[in-house]
Amino acid sequence: MEKIARINMGAAGGPEVTVTEVGEYAGLGGRAMTSIIIATEVHPLAHPLGAENKLVIAPGMLSGTAGAMTGRLSVGCKSPLTGTIKESNAGGQAAQVMARLGYAAVILEGKPTTDDLYKIHINKDGITITVDNSLRLMDNYPVIAKLRGEYGDKVAYMTIGSAGERKLLTASIACTDPELRPTRHCGRGGVGAVMGAKGIKAIILDDAGLKMRPPKDPERYRDANRKFVEGLRKHPVTGEGLPAYGTNILTNILNEAGGYPTRNFKSGVYEGGSKLSGEAQAELEIKRGGKATHGCHRGCVIQCSGIYNDAQGNYVTKQPEYETVWSHGGHCGIDDLDTVARLDYLDDNIGVDTIDMGVAIGVAMDAGVIPFGDKEGAIRLVEEVGKGTPLGRILGCGAAITGKVFGVERVPVVKDQALPAYDPRPIQGIGVTYATTTQGADHTAGYAIATNILKVGGDVDPLKTEGQVELSRNLQIATAAIDSTGMCLFIAFAIMDQPETFQALLDMLGSFYGITMTGDDVVALGKKVLSAERDFNKRAGFTAAHDRLPRFFYTEAIEPHNQVFGITDEELDSVFNW
Amino acid sequence: MTHATEPDSSPPLRLRFRVPAEGVVAFSPLLQAGFFVTARVGCSVKTLLSGQFGIDEEYVTRRITTMFLDSKPVDKMESTLVRDGATLALSCAMPGLVGATLRRGGFYAPFRAGISCKEDDSPTRAGIGTVRIKLFNLLMGELGPLFLGRGIIVTASAMEELLLSSGDLFMTSCSEVSVDAAPAELTALVKSGIFKGRKKVRLTVLFDPPVEIPEDDL
Repeated sequence: MEKIARINMGAAGGPEVTVTEVGEYAGLGGRAMTSIIIATEVHPLAHPLGAENKLVIAPGMLSGTAGAMTGRLSVGCKSPLTGTIKESNAGGQAAQVMARLGYAAVILEGKPTTDDLYKIHINKDGITITVDNSLRLMDNYPVIAKLRGEYGDKVAYMTIGSAGERKLLTASIACTDPELRPTRHCGRGGVGAVMGAKGIKAIILDDAGLKMRPPKDPERYRDANRKFVEGLRKHPVTGEGLPAYGTNILTNILNEAGGYPTRNFKSGVYEGGSKLSGEAQAELEIKRGGKATHGCHRGCVIQCSGIYNDAQGNYVTKQPEYETVWSHGGHCGIDDLDTVARLDYLDDNIGVDTIDMGVAIGVAMDAGVIPFGDKEGAIRLVEEVGKGTPLGRILGCGAAITGKVFGVERVPVVKDQALPAYDPRPIQGIGVTYATTTQGADHTAGYAIATNILKVGGDVDPLKTEGQVELSRNLQIATAAIDSTGMCLFIAFAIMDQPETFQALLDMLGSFYGITMTGDDVVALGKKVLSAERDFNKRAGFTAAHDRLPRFFYTEAIEPHNQVFGITDEELDSVFNW
Repeated sequence: MTHATEPDSSPPLRLRFRVPAEGVVAFSPLLQAGFFVTARVGCSVKTLLSGQFGIDEEYVTRRITTMFLDSKPVDKMESTLVRDGATLALSCAMPGLVGATLRRGGFYAPFRAGISCKEDDSPTRAGIGTVRIKLFNLLMGELGPLFLGRGIIVTASAMEELLLSSGDLFMTSCSEVSVDAAPAELTALVKSGIFKGRKKVRLTVLFDPPVEIPEDDL
């Protein structure tokens, strides 16, 4: 990954490609690459859909190698949803292929002067950009089917659906999985709208004739990767729970803990929770001839995904994840997995973030647009988004806009991005991360549960009630670092509990680049990324007042624990003191 | 020994049958939604699980890493007391930050300090009582046969729903079916409407071959 491609969509005479050495961005990958480029090159007051914004696509530091779990792709820009800096990442095949093509980043710049729709083809011979208006307003599944006829099956595709073309604020960028289905999405923050604003419908990545990226020390890399895989396979979360039930294994647990936001955050317990559980989902998938265990990219050993079929055994969608099942399920008072699967398919096809879309539907239900529990009504609303009707455009712009348009007081967003599936009143620590992350409410912003191993910021007594701010800070630092490696965040469970697995990860990085990596290096990388992101947001006009949860979390106690969010503003303001 | 729960005035319907070992998955709706068992209450969570239910202590310590008593995460199972009418939910280690947060005695326990099970020195009445057990994820397959073999109490409506939603394959794989100790045929039983007007069912399931708690996981 020795080069960066810049594609100026606004150049006179049509799109212009410039390929340069990595230069000042050498050694960066994933989120570190996207955030530092955006923070350095994009004016913080730029309109997110304007020519000044950039869309940076970057594989991780170890993507394209023979290493396990290295297939996360980061996409960064100034977010049209939040107005902050944004990094959104996804699995699928794109990161591996882009890295083998040698690109540390592909940066989409400028804005076309016509309304033509473009596709970008990247292979070992270079980058070709062509107009293809036949793809206009097609959604992701039919777009991929059409492109496969032209480019075949041995490539990776990144596409936007009709939501991206319409520049809806929850629009995603789809990355194809190993079966070439557009099921893995850079979902959060409206990155698909930025791609749509650049006039780009599809990116085709073709690594034919290229090999895996070679490590500096192949033998040491192979050995470290073997130990890393062994560690993942022997851990009960990465070796058993996630492969068997996927992330939706969390439904029963959150519901039992009273932390499962139900009917737009009115209760922490959903009476229909067990019908939506990962256990019920896996059983149904197997019974119908689908799969409860499936990888989103080659080289994944956790295999937390699956294939969801209908009662006749026909493919409906990939296994919906916990957040999707929650946003379309308990949040909307819907306890039917078939309805959730249908909504997941529609989200993937239209190209919208499943969290913000589902939360918007729940907010609309709270406004009385349709009643809670209305399965057919929920499907109809998402179809409106696909049709681009005025109501669909409102919903497709997310929960914050929907709440404003319909006059809803209880709107679960931070910096206009919808909260994920964990209520911050019973589990207050995650509320600290929701409030303060640079990205808007995001559970994955403080997800890398390896802070005890990393000793980020020193030791915290695990059984003291103090320290939630410190833990959130440490988690956000560790997560920013792991997001930069291209590693799937789910590796965090194994590296938290097994020091030898964490060491294997450091050895993979060290042997690949011919350096010695320590925990301190990882911490320094995480701080560097967060500092750049915080600085961008500050220059974009964000202050401490934006690092707050919506007021109802402080005033409305939630059952069954009858708690409100109790972290003070002063404590929230101290999260980034380092 | 006193009886801490008033016995139900109507005795439960006693349903018993034998299924192949792999058939435990069919009972997962009952196991995850929760079932009732009679037990000595007023003891610690650990005593209930190991001393009364006979689950190996090592298994309890290492495998059941997440547990809730009346929706509150348990950190100290040796000193947390189980009262009559309590609900005890059991799970393996969970993914995600919140999964790690809810783990028993975990590093991220401060994140949910406000809802954690606290030391409670109020008087706890010892005696025979009823405890609702929920089994989640991998524990359904590993501990389900133990509880089903001992006999569990579920609502009649839940039992009927389970049998109605079970496929023909499951129904025909059940053998030695009896109702209140009298031989019966399962398909005919469901059609007969036997659950109507009944509140509870005591379900006992034997597995063929018997299912043991896996030692490999210890």
